[in-house]
Amino acid sequence: MDGLFLLLPISLLLVLGIGVAFWWAVFSGQFDEAGEAAQAILDDDDS
Amino acid sequence: MLARTGLAWLVMMQVMMLAFPGYMRPVERSAEAQQTLEQAIVLMNWSSLVLCVPLMTYCAWPLWQGAWRDLARRRVGMDVPVALGLLAAFIPSVIATWRQTGEVYFDSVSMFVAFLMGARYLELCARQAAGSRSAGGLEGHLLALADRWALRFVCVQLVLAAGVGLWWWSVQPDQAVAVTVALLVMSCPCALSMSVPAALAARRTLSLRHDRSSALDAQRLDAAMRRVARQNLFGSLAWHVLVTPLAAMGWVQPWLAALTMLMSSLAVAVNAWRLTRIQGPSGLGLVGSTG
Repeated sequence: MDGLFLLLPISLLLVLGIGVAFWWAVFSGQFDEAGEAAQAILDDDDS
Repeated sequence: MLARTGLAWLVMMQVMMLAFPGYMRPVERSAEAQQTLEQAIVLMNWSSLVLCVPLMTYCAWPLWQGAWRDLARRRVGMDVPVALGLLAAFIPSVIATWRQTGEVYFDSVSMFVAFLMGARYLELCARQAAGSRSAGGLEGHLLALADRWALRFVCVQLVLAAGVGLWWWSVQPDQAVAVTVALLVMSCPCALSMSVPAALAARRTLSLRHDRSSALDAQRLDAAMRRVARQNLFGSLAWHVLVTPLAAMGWVQPWLAALTMLMSSLAVAVNAWRLTRIQGPSGLGLVGSTG
């Protein structure tokens, strides 16, 4: 039971961290044009 | 939109994990273990409440906005029953957490928001893929048909939820909240509103792939698209009609109602995606015979 008092806040902090990381990723454009990188290899012209 | 949806799913997974001790309550055990469990449930409920506050404010923000806009215009849209359902589940849960007795529905609330935002995100993608073509006569007609059915459906469901809730309140007050929440969750016509845009998006993808196809093919494509849109529309309607009596009788828990809502939305998306797999004229014939 005592362990829960430590573990629950830790898990909440972890969730907060993951949420902030995801939020940052969305708004810094990580998910815009998801197919771009795969296409860039084919479009590459260095013959 | 993506951020709100993703965060809602993250919170949902956490809250479901935290809700697990609550499901263990009816199992037989020694008095000491029972007391430990009750303490753990109180702790878990508070953690769920902390997680649900950003969910209700940030993730569900478009829902509140839509419901408020509908109410300001004095008409009933999709967001009104959704907002009512969320409040009906959330407020009793907060009171139960504060008093440390009774059932909480944080798991249902978070699942509902997450699934709803997921369905809305899919709908947004479908509408964006359908693009400017939705101004056309046929598409406009189909979209209007879907909107009209969704509106009727919502009105009937709201009246039904209120009536059934009152009946349960007079017979068995401890069940009334769960039944009403389940009915309100069920009344969300996500699948209905998704049915036509999904079919239009599939049609659009196809016509882009075979842009040199003949006028005959285009006509057959249109026919197939119309069939899929109608299948989606009336399939999701029939599904709702089928599940509603079960919810009214109290056999469907709120979290199960949220899950069935997601399943019907996914079924609509899959049915539309089936259309994009048509390769040539032979494929068209196949869909015509099975559809």
